[in-house]
Amino acid sequence: MGPLEAGLLLFGVFGVLVLIRIPVSVALGLASVPIFLIHDRLSITLLFTEMFRAYNSFLLLAVPFFLLAANLMNAAGITDRMIRLCRALVGWMPGGLGHVNVSVSMLFAGISGSSTADAAGIGSLMIPAMEKEGYDTPVSVAITACSSVMGVIIPPSVLMIVWGGVMSVSIGGLFLAGVIPGILIGGSMMVAVYIYALKRGYPRYPFPTVREVVASFLSSFFALMTPVLIVGGIVGGYFTPTEASVIAVLYSMILGLFVYRNLGFKKLPGVFYESARFAAIALFAVGTASAFSFLLAFFQVPKALVSMFADLSMGSVQTALVVAGCFLVIGMFIDAIPAIIILGTVLWPVAETAGMHPIHFAIIGIVSLAFGLVTPPYGLCLLISCSIGKIRVIDALRDTTIILFPMLIVLLGIVLLPELVLWLPRLLMPHFN
Amino acid sequence: MGGGVRRLLNCYYSLLQILLTAMLGLLLVPVTLQIVARYSNVIPRYIWTEEIARFAFVWIIMIGSIIAIRDKSHFIVDVLPEFGRTGRKVLGAITLVTMFLAGAIFTYGGWKFAVFGSIQHSELAGLPMLAIYIAWPVLGVSWLIFTTEQIYDFIRDTGEVAHGTP
Repeated sequence: MGPLEAGLLLFGVFGVLVLIRIPVSVALGLASVPIFLIHDRLSITLLFTEMFRAYNSFLLLAVPFFLLAANLMNAAGITDRMIRLCRALVGWMPGGLGHVNVSVSMLFAGISGSSTADAAGIGSLMIPAMEKEGYDTPVSVAITACSSVMGVIIPPSVLMIVWGGVMSVSIGGLFLAGVIPGILIGGSMMVAVYIYALKRGYPRYPFPTVREVVASFLSSFFALMTPVLIVGGIVGGYFTPTEASVIAVLYSMILGLFVYRNLGFKKLPGVFYESARFAAIALFAVGTASAFSFLLAFFQVPKALVSMFADLSMGSVQTALVVAGCFLVIGMFIDAIPAIIILGTVLWPVAETAGMHPIHFAIIGIVSLAFGLVTPPYGLCLLISCSIGKIRVIDALRDTTIILFPMLIVLLGIVLLPELVLWLPRLLMPHFN
Repeated sequence: MGGGVRRLLNCYYSLLQILLTAMLGLLLVPVTLQIVARYSNVIPRYIWTEEIARFAFVWIIMIGSIIAIRDKSHFIVDVLPEFGRTGRKVLGAITLVTMFLAGAIFTYGGWKFAVFGSIQHSELAGLPMLAIYIAWPVLGVSWLIFTTEQIYDFIRDTGEVAHGTP
């Protein structure tokens, strides 16, 4: 079996299984079964060996903990405090609550590593509030869904942890590299909100008093320290990403239980259960996707791609555009984590040959996959936001597309200007090159 | 399915939920120990904490996946158009049978995998690797049980088939 036949068989079976509504994580495992059975040098136990190898990772342990930290922050009412701060800071602009929604997502992204926790936590507070002030529901839903994607771009980020683990890239470097793209994306969305507000006459809040700004800042001060603690701790080499995730959990528990006292001990088991369950569902795919990508590598599909691209003789910019395109397309159909494992490992040899920096490659991949969180048919953040706003996905599509457009320009900027991504890690990490 | 069987399944499901919750809580301990040990001399720097944490983590993923089979919260992609009643029935039957087949593969392959690992011991804590590898046949069997329940409900026309957002 050559690379082409193997690739076609794997993706073909996978496609059919997904079409008949087999869960993506299961479909990835099942698609690899025929080859494991047919090939005389492979055996079915390899599927499980690959799964075990993928799960048996101290690094991935950070994923459930960062989810847990985010859910604890939501349960402890820390999100409300950050909304109050953002209201004081940006609520006076036209379309005040829309800007609050975007900026609170940016702050929340600095604490949580996951976009879904962002969409669920912020959406349940902001969508009803925006509706009450006369914002159209599809617009509120679209702003919530689109801004939640910053959760995986602004550090900490679950996707960056998976990326760093699978591709052996510095996680501290990835975290720092995500800061500027994240802020640019937030800014681009605020421009979109501003234009909406002018066209549809959305309300604004009166200019805040200095007192309110100071009070709201103090009220959320401890929560705002979280990103400093986590990112600073990892980049400074004080602890590993997994340890940082546990510190984030302990810190948010202390804030919720003893400082802000909005989180009772009774609420804890529920929050733990939901976080563990969601993490398990997302991570199950890591194992099956690893088996899938093991087979792709076994039949030398990445190598075949490299020689194919070599024939096209593209420069690094064209290659970067192709990379972004591939991640955008696959992100529409499958979850970001398996997409990283399958496409990241396949495309990296191509990107490396074209002279791309591993962190530039990673951020292009992660930002492109972030779009997938809000594009159907598989856009988890859009689904969550729509279910909070009680509208159909199709009704939110138009506004989502409009808000995504400036974000697409930011992605293009990242592709063309690697410095946007690499500047901050180079500045703050002495050994970064 | 009689009330007794259903009650038994509910008990098993609740047990899994309790285990999952407790394990994530317990998992905080070894990692916290690791940090405290590095920055103080109160406790020795155990190296098995890291391994125990990894193994508990494997179990969390497997138990969570079993739970998601029962409450149908594994992510699916909905690309096919809406069908009429017959179309939905046919598609539902195909989905369930394939899921059952997947459970059978996990049971069979997982068992072979566990047997293969039963002579190994872990590198740091010296745990029998069977304690971890057994998670795969457990996943397979639980998967078969819960899919059978879903097939039963499907034939009786009481359950939704498709997995969706959690």
